[in-house]
Amino acid sequence: MTTNLGEFEQLVLLTLLGLGQEAYGVTVRAQLERRGGRTVSLGTVYKTLLRLEAKGLVTAHFGEPTAERGGRRKKHYEVTAPGRRALQRSLSALRKLARGLDAAWEAP
Amino acid sequence: MRPTRWLGWLIPEAERECVLGDLDEAYGGRRSLHCLADLLSVAWALRFNRPRPVRRIPLTPRRGDFIMTTLGNDIRYALRQLGRSPGFTLLSILTLALGIGATTAMFSVVNPILLEPLPYPNPDRIVALWEREKDGSEDNTGYLTFLDIQRMATSFDGIAVTSQWQPTLQGRGDPERLNGQRVTQRYFSILGVHPALGHDFTAEENIRGRHRVTILSHGLWQRRFGGDSAIVGRSVSFDGIQYTVVGVMPKSFESLLAPGAQLWAPLGYEPSLPFACRTCHHLREVARLNPGISPERARTELDLLFSRLVAEHPTEYSGVGMYVVPLRSQVTRDVRPALLAVLGAVGFVLLIACANVSGLLLGRALQREGEFAIRGALGAGRGRVVRQLLTESILLGLVGGAAGALLAWGGIRGLVALGPASLPRLSAISIDARALGFTAALSIATGLLFGLVPALATARPDLFTALRPGGRHSGQRSRRLARAVLVVGEVGLALMLLVGAGLLMRSLGKLLAVNPGFEPKGLLTMEVQTTGARYGDNAATWAFFDRAMDAVKAVPGVEIAGWTSQLPLGGDFDRYGVQIEGKLLANPEDAPSADRYAVSADYIRAMRIPLRRGRGFTAQDGPNAPRVALINETFARLSWAGEDPIGERVQAGGPETPWRTVVGIVGDVHHVGLDETQAPQLYIPESQWLGADGAMVLAARVRGDPLALIPTVRAALQAVDPSLPILRPATMEQVVSATTQPRRFAFVLFQAFALVALLLAAAGIYGVLAGSVTERTKELGIRAALGASRNGLVSLVVRQGLGLAAAGMAVGSAGAVVLSRFLQRLLFGIGPRDPITFAAVVAVLLGVALVACWAPAWRATRVSPLEALRGE
Repeated sequence: MTTNLGEFEQLVLLTLLGLGQEAYGVTVRAQLERRGGRTVSLGTVYKTLLRLEAKGLVTAHFGEPTAERGGRRKKHYEVTAPGRRALQRSLSALRKLARGLDAAWEAP
Repeated sequence: MRPTRWLGWLIPEAERECVLGDLDEAYGGRRSLHCLADLLSVAWALRFNRPRPVRRIPLTPRRGDFIMTTLGNDIRYALRQLGRSPGFTLLSILTLALGIGATTAMFSVVNPILLEPLPYPNPDRIVALWEREKDGSEDNTGYLTFLDIQRMATSFDGIAVTSQWQPTLQGRGDPERLNGQRVTQRYFSILGVHPALGHDFTAEENIRGRHRVTILSHGLWQRRFGGDSAIVGRSVSFDGIQYTVVGVMPKSFESLLAPGAQLWAPLGYEPSLPFACRTCHHLREVARLNPGISPERARTELDLLFSRLVAEHPTEYSGVGMYVVPLRSQVTRDVRPALLAVLGAVGFVLLIACANVSGLLLGRALQREGEFAIRGALGAGRGRVVRQLLTESILLGLVGGAAGALLAWGGIRGLVALGPASLPRLSAISIDARALGFTAALSIATGLLFGLVPALATARPDLFTALRPGGRHSGQRSRRLARAVLVVGEVGLALMLLVGAGLLMRSLGKLLAVNPGFEPKGLLTMEVQTTGARYGDNAATWAFFDRAMDAVKAVPGVEIAGWTSQLPLGGDFDRYGVQIEGKLLANPEDAPSADRYAVSADYIRAMRIPLRRGRGFTAQDGPNAPRVALINETFARLSWAGEDPIGERVQAGGPETPWRTVVGIVGDVHHVGLDETQAPQLYIPESQWLGADGAMVLAARVRGDPLALIPTVRAALQAVDPSLPILRPATMEQVVSATTQPRRFAFVLFQAFALVALLLAAAGIYGVLAGSVTERTKELGIRAALGASRNGLVSLVVRQGLGLAAAGMAVGSAGAVVLSRFLQRLLFGIGPRDPITFAAVVAVLLGVALVACWAPAWRATRVSPLEALRGE
């Protein structure tokens, strides 16, 4: 089964890969904002994470509770093998299509 | 504002922990609007905008799953259906809210009084004891009798006697008269309660001379002593006497036997006291039965013991035995008939509401016939459709119930305010979990009740007729019959309620038309109590009341005024056996007892009690003048049949008391209630009685509105002695009206319920006829085309409507004849089958039915033959 990724899904998957062990709700959003320049609501982040999980592109596991979280556990997200493949496919398509367009980029 | 704390439930369970954790981490638990916005965004995204992954549908549904999803589907579908016809939905919900709300409110009133266990341990074993008089009436007991019974009886774990105690609290703020009880020492342990602070009365404290101790109620302790936890052991002054506080009752303690009691003290009697005698019937008796002893068995024993006492002291008893009354009957007997009648009435309102919504549903089913036909054609079984319809009606019931609970919550305050003063356990009346549970059960039951008939009548439409174009209104006979039956039932129930309301209204009217024996209009009254060492002797008390009377008479607007020891219809009474010279009875206890009034010279004139013969009292009838008395007409008739009582001498209050000459006869005055039969009455000049009455009631006749003069008169009295409490200021009309309160309570509610019933029944008749005119459009059109006159069409419709109403009234009349006897105890001056009431009610209902017929009949005449037949 091939899965096509939406643009925001790509961003989230990339963020997850970048964050590694530290990928969960608020860090994903912070990273999207800092590195991706995207301001999104926490709801959108969670909704996307759940959708990716339902598609089997990411998995989640609970971490240890911490005091700063009021004794609540984190839910860590990790990109699965199918997730990596889907992301690579999307990105390579983008890369191929964008190749040689640098001139057009500059056009007014 | 910590949104994560109190809005967490908005996040779906599965994600709640990590989301809330995230928020705490991001915002460090700070209050922040951003945090709230984030939380709401997640809640919205996950709960309502949730990603729906493609679901594989299993070929064979799992059983539980199937039931739940269909139920979910049914509910969703029902909501859509109800939302589609907001008019119908709103009307149904309002009707149901009215019925369920009224029923819930009444249930909340009745529940703590008649149903819930009373708030004492093993309340079934607590009984009140009474002496039984020859005529079957109940009487209080005397202290010596109590001691004998307590010594001999084996049926009881304990017996106590109590007397009223109304001490005046002095020394802290305004003087205040309190309501209390003097009790013998087992009183609280018989009830099964213990003080929360301090200790219960000991045997020692019940000994005369050591009995100046008191236990306070929680309310009094909080209100007057600021909840001081060191109160036990402190000294408090009542009536100028020092009492030591030994205990405080718990907040939860309800004083059912003496409602409103705020404090208690030991009775402190000893057998030698003059007021401890066997004939001093002023003590109330309460006991706890031994386990396994029934009230009947205890009564058998008491009757035996009592007859032994009568044999030993033949001149000191007039009673013949004793009563053993379970606590619940004791505290509820005054209000029970009214409460049950009203509860029955409210049940009728609920039934009518159900019938009405049933009718609405049937009418709607007509419009949805096509829908059900299609469902049937697609293979939906009858059970499936019935289930769908019942889901809708139960949903309606629940929404109506929720609205009803709100209504009840608001209405209950009104009910309590309207309730008779004798309503016990007022504080326990509330919408609690039990009442809400009752409402929920009621809502579901109601939904089933009103939904079942339409569901069954609709579920299997004739597919062929229903789906044929133009044949939509196939007019099933069963459905029409069902609607007719509903309307007949509604009219019948409405008639019964109207009869109830009518009977109560006529009773109230007759009661208020009773001449109380005096002129209440323009009279104001208040009670003054002398208290403290300054009023220790008779002369000081009489002097005070004389001075106070002068002060009242000096108030502009006061025409004439007098004192009386007991105010008619005021709730107090004082009765003495009266012996007549030359007709002495061997057993003085058999002497007729008369209401005794110690009055000032102008009292009879101020009250406008008519003087029939002889003379009234004057200022000359003082303490040193010859002793005189006035009697009422009933006394004259009963004791001097055919003779002239004037100049005869009577003796009131025992063989050692002085003889008094009857100088006049006055009219009868209703003392206990307007519905009570007349008793002998005896008036004595205040200063000629055996001693001064410490409390006197003012009766002042004034020009203009008595209510407006109350503050001035009060101030005048207070100017004479500001340390004395002034109680119960009221106009005499208020006093009279208060005695009709239980009937008024039942009447006002019946009236409201009957009005609702009438409206609903009218709506029901209208609905059936309107539906029927719609269904018969074609027929009416043909009739019009064939030359039927307008009058003919009108009478066709009206006849149908009146036929239904008449059938309903026949059923209702039969029911009313059977049921109205349950109102017997609330009626006055008429029988439960009062023909005038029945006739008036039938006339009213007929009128309403005619009005309800009018609009559909008018519409029938507007049916255009062309329009009606176009479909063919």
